[in-house]
This record gives sequence, structure tokens and C-alpha cells, in this order.
Amino acid sequence: MAYSTKVLDHYNNPRNVGSFPKDEADVGTGVVGAPECGDVMKLQLRINPEGVIEDARFKTFGCGSAIASSSYVTELVKGKRIDEAMAIKNSSIVQELNLPPVKIHCSVLAEDAIKAAIKDWKSKHEQETAAPQQAGSSGAAGSDGKAVRG
Amino acid sequence: MPAWQIPLTSIAARRQQIAQETSQKLQAGIFERLDEVYLNGHPTERLPGNLNLSFAYVEGESLLMGMKDIAVSSGSACTSATLEPSYVIRALGTEEELAHSSIRFGLGRFNTEEEVDFVAQRVTDEVQRLRDMSPLYEMAKEGIDLKSVAWKRD
Repeated sequence: MAYSTKVLDHYNNPRNVGSFPKDEADVGTGVVGAPECGDVMKLQLRINPEGVIEDARFKTFGCGSAIASSSYVTELVKGKRIDEAMAIKNSSIVQELNLPPVKIHCSVLAEDAIKAAIKDWKSKHEQETAAPQQAGSSGAAGSDGKAVRG
Repeated sequence: MPAWQIPLTSIAARRQQIAQETSQKLQAGIFERLDEVYLNGHPTERLPGNLNLSFAYVEGESLLMGMKDIAVSSGSACTSATLEPSYVIRALGTEEELAHSSIRFGLGRFNTEEEVDFVAQRVTDEVQRLRDMSPLYEMAKEGIDLKSVAWKRD
């Protein structure tokens, strides 16, 4: 199996490796995958109040294609609005990195990581906006983190 | 045993001894530089020259990509071309996550001491680089028990 030049480049020069403090209000953290599967990606997005992704950081346990997929994603999302980032499909990652069929799952995981990070950011912000309307019902958050408005 | 076979058995035994010493030198070189490295299989009841190590928090294939100028494989000999962790490594008692982190080194009588030192240092540098990129290493350093985490997978 030969790695594409882009995968090798991301492997040797990964973009945006690192972490934001998880507790900061404008940071959304998504962790997807499992060690037993050989792939775990942590993607963090710093999103401004207008809903634009200003910065991103990643850490990945996985093969070169997994590292390249998550590294590429941190470049892809910067400057995008949340809805644009949610629309990113794994196929664009496969195309950019020339991933072979056996490595497509790495791009799927990267797409999942974006969605998980945004979901986390949203859960932090919906609770903040829900608080003044529903004082005393802080336990009303649904199982997926969305505040219940009644 | 016919007389002509006797020198052959002693040559073979000597080669095995050299292979074993070389692999043990590499093992020692790596163990003194890195923590959380585990030997897969029995320490002495193993093929002379065979060294199979798991590097916690680092995935084997990504480590392979960093082994430039070195010929190694991931998993065990029979599974190095697949994505599955080696059933052999698993049968030896290694947990699944560490099985994903295994690298197989084959040492023999042609390997020099310089090569062993070069490989030990190269492996160390690459493992440390990948650990800095690893969310599992980060969580372990924060004191999180990885076995207690509810991983999200589809």
C-alpha cells in the first residue's frame, strides 16, 4: 500500500496539533472512535459567538491516513460557519488525500469528529441561552445535550 | 549424528545466540529510553532475533511510517498486511489496544551495533512525536483510566 504524497505530508507536518482548554465556553470538543478499533480522534473547535469556526486543534491515535484526515479537517473548517462545517462530507477528505478504499473509514471518522465537536459547542451554548428563560430547570437538558424548552 | 553434521549444529547455535543477543540489545536500548513499552510473548522462550514490542498510546501503522531506512512490520509476520490486530499477539495475552500498537523487529547476525543504536534512537524519537499527537497519551497523563471511558463508536 502506497501512501499519497498528501497523506505523507500531513503525517510529517501535521497541522494544528494540540489542545484548547476543554472548559472554555467557545471551545467544542469531539472525541470519536475507540482504542480497540485502532482509531481515536479528538477534534476541538474554537467558535465565535457568530457561529464561525476561528481555530481548530486535533490529536489522533491511528494510522497515517487517520492522522492526515484529522489534520486536513482542521485546515478545512477554519473560517467556516457551523452549518458549512456540518455539511462537510467524508468524500471530500477521500478526494483531497487520495485515500484508498481500505482507509475510507478514517475520513468517515473525521467527518464524525467535526459533528461531535459542534454538538459539544452547541450544548454549551444552548444551556446558556436557555438559562434566563428557564430558571431552576437546569436538569432539563435532553440526553443529547439539547436544552428542553417547554 | 554423522561427524559432518556436528560443526553445522554448532554454527546454527552460534548464529541463534548472536541473533538473540542483538535483539536483546535493541530491547534494552528501547526500554531505557521509553516508558510504557511492552514485550509481546515470552522473554526467553521465543525465536532468537525476534523482538515484538507494543508502544502504548501509539498506533502501530503510524509508527511504521516513521521508520524510515528501517525494515520492520506491524503486528506479527502473518498479519502485517491487514488492518486487524494480530490474533497471534492477542493469543499471547496482549490486550487489543496494545495489539494495535505492536511492531515486529527481526534481528540477525548481519545487524551491527551501530544499526541497533540507530534504530533504538529512531524508534524513541518517533514514539515520542506520536505520543505528543495522541489523545490517549494526553488522557493517560491527565490521570484518566482509559478502560473506564465510554468511547463513542457507530
